[in-house]
Amino acid sequence: MNGFMLSVNMLQAGHVLRKSAEMAEKDPHGVIITVVSVAVVFAVLLILYFAYSLIGKSVNGKMPKFGRQSSAAGVHKPSAEEAAAIALALDSELNGETYAAIGAALHNYFNDTVHDQESYIITIRRK
Amino acid sequence: MNTVIDSLQQFLQYTGFANMTWQHIVMICIGIAFITVAIKKDWEPLLLVPIGFGMIIGNIPFTEGLQIGIYEEGSVMNILYSGVRYGWYPPLIFLGIGAMTDFSALISQPRLMLIGAAAQVGIFGAYVIALHLGFTPAESGAIGIIGGADGPTAIFLSSKLAPELMGAIAVSAYSYMALVPVIQRPIMLMLTTKKERLIRMKPARQVSQKEKIIFPIVGFILTAMIVPSGMPLLGMLFFGNLLKESGVTKRLAETARGPLIDVVTILIGVTVGCSTQANVFLSGTSVKIFLLGLLSFVIATTCGVLFAKFMNLFCKEENKINPLIGNAGVSAVPDSARVSQNVGREFDKNNHLLMHAMAPNVAGVIGSAVAAGILLSFLG
Repeated sequence: MNGFMLSVNMLQAGHVLRKSAEMAEKDPHGVIITVVSVAVVFAVLLILYFAYSLIGKSVNGKMPKFGRQSSAAGVHKPSAEEAAAIALALDSELNGETYAAIGAALHNYFNDTVHDQESYIITIRRK
Repeated sequence: MNTVIDSLQQFLQYTGFANMTWQHIVMICIGIAFITVAIKKDWEPLLLVPIGFGMIIGNIPFTEGLQIGIYEEGSVMNILYSGVRYGWYPPLIFLGIGAMTDFSALISQPRLMLIGAAAQVGIFGAYVIALHLGFTPAESGAIGIIGGADGPTAIFLSSKLAPELMGAIAVSAYSYMALVPVIQRPIMLMLTTKKERLIRMKPARQVSQKEKIIFPIVGFILTAMIVPSGMPLLGMLFFGNLLKESGVTKRLAETARGPLIDVVTILIGVTVGCSTQANVFLSGTSVKIFLLGLLSFVIATTCGVLFAKFMNLFCKEENKINPLIGNAGVSAVPDSARVSQNVGREFDKNNHLLMHAMAPNVAGVIGSAVAAGILLSFLG
């Protein structure tokens, strides 16, 4: 197996040397390869740009924008950028236990099992 | 008694201390420096710790012929290194990257893809300079790809074009990726005005699941049809993303972005580090590669930022692009996007550029894989 891979590698190395020598002769300053390559990279990404613009319009052209939802009822909801930033910051800063603690705290908060303000009424349950 | 002394003397000749040279010591110190930077500064620890330790492993002097060195056929390290040498590991890393990357930012703002294309100029700028420094076209191509800021792509291309330079190229690529915040920030500040840094970009639209599923299929067909030589990287990148977005292959996606990429990262890091044996690595050529790598990063960042400014010339006021996201065109994901976010917030605390910067950032991954494919088709 190793011997086979070695011979494949040697063949490839020979091929690279030959092509490299040809290129050194044809384009000694690297201008042609640079111009062609940059043009191809731009062309590929430009084609992708058009393709995704078209797909976006045809599949989901009427999707709502995040920005329009945020100021409703005077409550500031995080925008997509803020949410992404928060998610990334949490991802890089926190560990599993912290996530669990945040999750538990949110659960308690939304289920009204946490009391920030107590009623100050003492009740005694008789047995 | 004499036999005991002879045996001891023979044993001592085999020890690392007896065979140590100053070059080995330098390389071991560099390895320790990598580990220290990774732990203290938290710069790319997942890569720098394995590479740093690999450097230490690779630079323990030994007597050749024991089949333990990375360049000795049949040794364990040599077998593990074959994934680097024959280019198996990089596509597997790309599979994991695809499975962990959310391309929504790119799908919702496809125009930002062009910034990712502009940043690839760094690759070809370094290529031209390398040619003038006396490297062959194949070597120059392998060195230039450092500017793509993508370790797996750099390893993939150098394994095909200039295997003898791969150690220096890989270490250079990963080192500069770790130094992205240090390299990019001054360039971004130098090329932008205060007014430009305060530009608030329009929020991105929501992306539907259907679009996310169509993205990898269309993306792969289009890119691979134009640059088939980039197929191993592009195929795995888009395939990994399809696993993530299809919604029915959750287990496969989790394996690809979890255990699989972790295993391959360990193997690639340790073996690349190990390949930097002092006698191969410490040379004038490596120094030149490091300088060219830095230069390609600088060119890539400059072109990304300038292209964002150029695009603004054709944009309406409400569609203006904050040029601080231009640096993210290099494909160090997500570090360069984080740099955009952090620099942006230095000037306006409520301006969150991260989501916008992720678009050119992931476009940079596609762009550098395409650039690698082009160089391979010309020179490989």
